Amino acid sequence: MTTIKDVAVPAGSSPPAPPRVSPPSPRTLRARIGERTVPYLLILPALIAILVLLGWPTLQLVGISLRQLDLRELVTGQMVWIGFDNYTAALTDPEFWEITIRTLVFTAVIVITTLLVALFIALLMRHLNPVVRVLLQVTLVLAWATPVIATTTVFQWMFDQQYGILNKTLAQLGFESFIGYSWFSTGTSTLTVIGLLILWQAVPFVAFTLYAGLLGAPKEHYEAAGIDGASPWQTFWAVSWPAIRPILTMVTFLSVLWDFKVFGQVWAIRQGGPDGESTTLPIYLYLKGVAGSHFGAAAAIAMLMLLVLTLITARYVQLLVRSKEADIS
Amino acid sequence: MKKSLSQRVSLSVVGVIAAIFFGFPTYWMFTTSLKTPGEVLSPKYDLIPFSGTIDNFTSALTKPGFLTYLTNSLIVTVGAVLCALVAGVLAAAALARMRFRGRKGFLLLVLVAQLAPVEALFIPMYLLMKDAGLLNTLPSLLLVYFATTLPFTVWMLYGFINGIPYDLEEAAMIDGCSRAGAFRRVTLPLLAPGLVTTSVFSFITAWNEFLFALVFMRDQSKQTLPVWLSSFRTAFAVDWGGVMAASVIYAIPALVFFLIVQRKLVSGMTAGAVKG
Repeated sequence: MTTIKDVAVPAGSSPPAPPRVSPPSPRTLRARIGERTVPYLLILPALIAILVLLGWPTLQLVGISLRQLDLRELVTGQMVWIGFDNYTAALTDPEFWEITIRTLVFTAVIVITTLLVALFIALLMRHLNPVVRVLLQVTLVLAWATPVIATTTVFQWMFDQQYGILNKTLAQLGFESFIGYSWFSTGTSTLTVIGLLILWQAVPFVAFTLYAGLLGAPKEHYEAAGIDGASPWQTFWAVSWPAIRPILTMVTFLSVLWDFKVFGQVWAIRQGGPDGESTTLPIYLYLKGVAGSHFGAAAAIAMLMLLVLTLITARYVQLLVRSKEADIS
Repeated sequence: MKKSLSQRVSLSVVGVIAAIFFGFPTYWMFTTSLKTPGEVLSPKYDLIPFSGTIDNFTSALTKPGFLTYLTNSLIVTVGAVLCALVAGVLAAAALARMRFRGRKGFLLLVLVAQLAPVEALFIPMYLLMKDAGLLNTLPSLLLVYFATTLPFTVWMLYGFINGIPYDLEEAAMIDGCSRAGAFRRVTLPLLAPGLVTTSVFSFITAWNEFLFALVFMRDQSKQTLPVWLSSFRTAFAVDWGGVMAASVIYAIPALVFFLIVQRKLVSGMTAGAVKG
């Protein structure tokens, strides 16, 4: 997503048919043992990759967060266990709280705005005439498909202080004070531009998904609502809303997951500046960890970040796993 | 419901405004890439490029290193997609066609792995790659992209294989095919659209990835396109036409591939929503 950024969730398909039991035929014992190991050999590469490249780092993260691991320890290979010191250090650091709250507010504002704009666009698409609808859909697909960093450079160019089209347009419209105005001079203004950038990339996916949900609502229900003389508002709540509610839950979850951990756009725009005022948690993590070489402290912050993310998405993950159980068994 | 003329006109106006909002940045990227430096920096208010020069593209392509970064991006992306595809088909075939102890657990692992915020793991992954002596090499990125796209690949292919009737394979086996032969000759060809869809998704994910590329590749010459593009202030000395041309070149593979699977993505997503 953003861009499509990472597609993190199964584009689930129809529930699978239960696997067949292998046809009974007389076999030697050896062949039967061979047959038994086949599925394990087949899943082995994937299993090893997931365990070594995803599982092991997850365990490591816990371990590192309990160690003092700066450049010195990294070079000497010393293991310095310091218990929860990294956590207390982070939790007593006012900067950590400031950044966490900024990240949460930033995420909440973007997710809510994205959902509202996308819902509006989806409803709009349903009622537009085909020509304008296709035009809108083409622009949405282009916005969606353009890679994150390409989009980021375009936004920087549009918001450029001297030659940016935005300042030029505003000056043209008579707002002379915007000639040479810098959109990246304060944290709030920088975050607003970044938010707009994320919004621009995130809306198409959500809008198309909701639009597909709206089209999935039974036509007869709309007709019935029309015959009953329901107002558009009533029709929306009685017919459209039930059709898109599960989809809305899913895209909310995905948006939270994506927007909370956004790194590329924030970093590419101003590296968290000016003066750290647009630093979000992922940027903080990078600055502390890789740039500052405080790996232990950064791992503790990553753990806290995961904790926050788990808390706000736990309910949905639970629902998702439960609903996929039918596919699994 | 019949709408009055004024209603339809105002709807269309809103639709066009929305299209302008979402279309403008893409439009601006393309048109700026076709402007001469003089036009880019001119104080004139010009929304349409006149000269339509392609100089920016030639200068972007000849920027020191551009082809190296492009090659780096292609190697890690294509490599990761191929690895994920091979490991994914094998695992998905076992999951869909065989019953074995631990199958459910493995599926659950695959499902949960897709939700894991991999970005939080860059510190242990950085140390892991450092210990393995892979830091600053392309295989380190290839491995990470492989691992991050793999769970999704397995899950998608599992769904696709399940959609192909097992009877066909059984018939081939009765005709004397081995089990593997039946899968390869009967199911694999039918799986082609699924393989394309899945690999396009993985391709786009890896092609766009930024954080790990930034963290792992300390050496300038080993960077990938997104990282290089993000540091254009030094690379281009604010040659906006050149930056936009490079962005267009970088965006084109993703755009093309995206158009192939766009519809499938939406239908897949709505089907993937939690039921009830």
